[in-house]
Amino acid sequence: MSEPALFEIDHVSGGYGSGLVVRDVSLTVGRGEAVCLLGRNGVGKSTLVRLACGFLAAAAGTVRMAGADITGQPPSDNLGVGLTYCPQERVVFDDLTVAENLTLMRADRRLDGFDRYFQVFPRLTERRRQHAGTLSGGEKKLLSFVRGLAEGSAMVVIDEPSEGVQFENVVRMADLIAARKAGGTAFLVVEQNLTLVERIADRIVIMDHGEIVYTGAAGDVARDEILSHLTV
Amino acid sequence: MESLLVTQAINVVYEVLILAVLVLGLAVVMGLLNVLNIAHGEFVMLGAYTAYTVQKAGFPYLAAVPAAAVVCGVIGLLVERFLIRPLRYDPFETLLATWGLGLLLRKLVELVFGRGFRSVDIPIGGSVSIFGEAYPTYRLVLMAIAVVVVVALFVWYARAATGARIRAMVGNPVLAEAVGIRTRQLARNTFVAGTAWAGIAGVMIAPLTPVEPFMGLTLIVNSFFALVVGGMGTVTGLFAGSTIIGGLQSVLSASVSPTTAYLAMLILSILFLWQRPRGLFPRP
Amino acid sequence: MGSFLVRNGLILALLVLVPTFVGEFWAYQLGLYFLYALAAMGVGLTWGQAGILPLGQGMFVALSAYTAAYGLSGIGTSPLAFVVIPAAALGVALFGFLFSTVVFRGHSDRGPSFSLITLALTLAAFQIATTWSSVTGGFNGLRNIPGLPGLDGFLDLYYLIAVVLGLSIAFVDYLLRAPLGALWRAIADNERRLAFLGYDVAALKAVAFAVACWLAGLAGALYAPQQNLVTPDLAGFAFSGDLVIFAAVGGRATVLGPVIGAIVVGVLSAELRDRFPWWEIVIALFFIVVVLRLPGGLMTLFAPLERLRLARGQTPRASRAPDKPRAAAPLSVGFEDVRVRMGDVTILDGLSVKTGDEAVLCLIGPNGAGKTSALNVMTGALPKRGGRILIDGVDVLRPEPAAVARSGVGRKFQTPSVFPKLTIDENLAIALWSGRWRGFDLLRPSLFGWTTPLLDEMRRRFGFLGSGGKAASDLSHGERQILELTMALITEPRLLLLDEPCAGLSHEETAQVIDAIQWARQSLNLRIIIIEHDMELVRRLADRVVVLHQGRFLADGSVEEVQGNPDVRAVYVGGSR
Repeated sequence: MSEPALFEIDHVSGGYGSGLVVRDVSLTVGRGEAVCLLGRNGVGKSTLVRLACGFLAAAAGTVRMAGADITGQPPSDNLGVGLTYCPQERVVFDDLTVAENLTLMRADRRLDGFDRYFQVFPRLTERRRQHAGTLSGGEKKLLSFVRGLAEGSAMVVIDEPSEGVQFENVVRMADLIAARKAGGTAFLVVEQNLTLVERIADRIVIMDHGEIVYTGAAGDVARDEILSHLTV
Repeated sequence: MESLLVTQAINVVYEVLILAVLVLGLAVVMGLLNVLNIAHGEFVMLGAYTAYTVQKAGFPYLAAVPAAAVVCGVIGLLVERFLIRPLRYDPFETLLATWGLGLLLRKLVELVFGRGFRSVDIPIGGSVSIFGEAYPTYRLVLMAIAVVVVVALFVWYARAATGARIRAMVGNPVLAEAVGIRTRQLARNTFVAGTAWAGIAGVMIAPLTPVEPFMGLTLIVNSFFALVVGGMGTVTGLFAGSTIIGGLQSVLSASVSPTTAYLAMLILSILFLWQRPRGLFPRP
Repeated sequence: MGSFLVRNGLILALLVLVPTFVGEFWAYQLGLYFLYALAAMGVGLTWGQAGILPLGQGMFVALSAYTAAYGLSGIGTSPLAFVVIPAAALGVALFGFLFSTVVFRGHSDRGPSFSLITLALTLAAFQIATTWSSVTGGFNGLRNIPGLPGLDGFLDLYYLIAVVLGLSIAFVDYLLRAPLGALWRAIADNERRLAFLGYDVAALKAVAFAVACWLAGLAGALYAPQQNLVTPDLAGFAFSGDLVIFAAVGGRATVLGPVIGAIVVGVLSAELRDRFPWWEIVIALFFIVVVLRLPGGLMTLFAPLERLRLARGQTPRASRAPDKPRAAAPLSVGFEDVRVRMGDVTILDGLSVKTGDEAVLCLIGPNGAGKTSALNVMTGALPKRGGRILIDGVDVLRPEPAAVARSGVGRKFQTPSVFPKLTIDENLAIALWSGRWRGFDLLRPSLFGWTTPLLDEMRRRFGFLGSGGKAASDLSHGERQILELTMALITEPRLLLLDEPCAGLSHEETAQVIDAIQWARQSLNLRIIIIEHDMELVRRLADRVVVLHQGRFLADGSVEEVQGNPDVRAVYVGGSR
């Protein structure tokens, strides 16, 4: 039971400029586990995730991947240690085609390996020669999701995967995540929408005002409790 | 009479293509990386002097191409490391810093070679008869090279993996890092490619123009404003800018006077800077 | 005032006494560099203060020089010849003002466009000067220009130039310390913020450029009789570049920097250029170093001296600012089917909502609902693609930030937007002056002492505002939020737009801000629209809550009504079906 966590955020603080948006946050994600980070707008979820993946310099704290300290390393090194990141905004390369978005970093630049994803999301196949900028917001999220999963990392961090995505596709995303979890991949998912959370979360972490205000196993927390932290 | 018109037409095409070749290096640096390298003309000048030196030393002219690429590439590397990167690729700051760089390079070359004009012998002499008029072979060769290079670059940028990565980095630098593109190195390499190419362009035009330390100053004006009008960051912009500015210069020079052509080009540029600073076909 | 006279008196005295130390010949040489210094001061002013870099000031020097040459040749020996100097300078200044007004109103992106336009202009001017021989004498220029009547020998003209330089230094010194100078520095610091306070930024920039052209004009007009020769070189690329280098190397943010740069670099270049061929390489290198590391130029080496100069002496006497006309009623706003798109993305999709009687309206909604965009389109920060926006019942076709601000809208942005390089006092002063200054007020230093009861109250509530000399960049995030809120409040708006006023604030700061907002609501006749996510805040402040979703109106009502609305809950959390 004391398997070391795959991804550790250890007492991390940080923000933009002089302000501290995230204050002394710690959380861990273990192999094959999906941790969902919830909270209203502006509480610091995206900021925390950007800090953890190296897009913002942390004012304090350490981030570790499989035991190795990755704090402050350039984000382009993340894939090398097995960490994938899907941002919340500007999620695809608008000027590149769908196909180019997916094959950009592959040596063979072919779409063969993506068949199983195309079967789940046929829309992407149809649009594969179109510029990603012409996709709808939800379709862009799907594209970003597929790109992230296809990177085959051990740890996947996604910021609001279901924003703008239709219900049916959110369910399919959940299925894909579950399948990967079974193989040992760990997920840290920032979400405001419970559709996805209810399907994949093993643990739930709720943030408010830059700090963690609740953390517990998904089964332990009542829906109303979650709602009280999220809604108006 | 017809043959004269044909020659004039070829001249216009020649001016446009040569401008495209000269602007290419700047289009890469300014259009993709947002670096206002006002010393671009000096890199061309360095390429021309490299060609002169290579020829003087008795080597075949073609050897000047890799030589200029190396000279300008290395200087570009140093400039990127010590000027561009510390200034965080900011357009305004890099404009200033490269102004100083231009001064520096002009003076250094003046110290080494003196102020006088040097001439570089045309490597491919002779002329070709077109509709009864003799047209210099070398110019035709240059035009062919220009077309090949610009087309090849267009294809490469659109298709090749590195071209796609540059496009990705330019459009969305954060996501580029996220998917594993080392944007710092890619930006550096792109910049160096831009300066190296400027050097090669210098080798190309050296036999056709007086080689002297201040030759970059006349070139930079046309190049800069071709991009301003055509639009930065797209190959279409490069074509459009070269065609409009190069064509305008060429036609007006021949039909009215070089001064009028120059003034017309400046006025057009001012109008664009005033109303449409991003040009006709900017990067979206 | 005392220190101003002492300082500038000393400089003038120094300038006038120079020939006694260096002799007549050198006095003549220095005269030329003093003229360069005048033009360089103009570059320093626009660049160092307002952040506008003119790459073609030589053109204005040349224009004035050619004009003065004709004027002097025409007038000959009558004392009227002396009028030619200021007349030529004034003409050039007016031209510069008109030209820059047109350019600054032409396009909204800052960028180096203006710099490149001035560069293109000077290149064109050089070309014209070289080829229009009938008027300009072509490449060789105009020769045998008569000197000024009554001034014989090198020394007389030197004294005139020295006095003009001394007076100009005093003039620029005065401007930089006046409210106008603070506004210029504010432009360089945060142009958007200044526009949203209701200032006509383009006009302010044009005034700065006009002053620079006046200085360039003086330089050119005196150049003609001093050199007795005017050539196209004055309009050339090289001379304009030299002026930028003088300003940069000397120190562009100070009054004396460009003067010292011009004299030191000019003199040394003239002396060393022939003896040491690598001298110009040294200058180029030093210029690069200044751009990279030493934006303050040579003046940073004289820093202690500069501190002496910049010490304001006494703080200005506190005085009551003129009142703004009392608003009849708070501003009302209406959106009718407003659409906004950015590229392919729809940001507002037919938003229809109107303010009613409520004093405080809270705008809430999930990410991407369009809350900030609604504020942006109303204040002109985003272009609207469809629908109508009514402010006080009037359809505002194309809102423009400064105009909207002047009609009584105050705005606090999502991330604190103040003037970081200016002091707290300067930040507050700039907000206070907005809409209250008249005529030549911006030239009166007494404006720095203005205060209102509202500002006094805010200073009482938030102690840190009392450390007026502190730079705004030294404030914590929370303090900057509060500073910006104060700045928005003291303009006494009829409509106050607050975008997440408590984001990043500690609990104590949040409580203080809520208190201040409630106090403002009671003592001022204003309406407040707040975008917030913190429901605690919304509960305490809102009279009415409006919920947006995907760029459209979703629901509204009191806090309880909205909380109980099932559509609202669904939109926030999704949930199983």
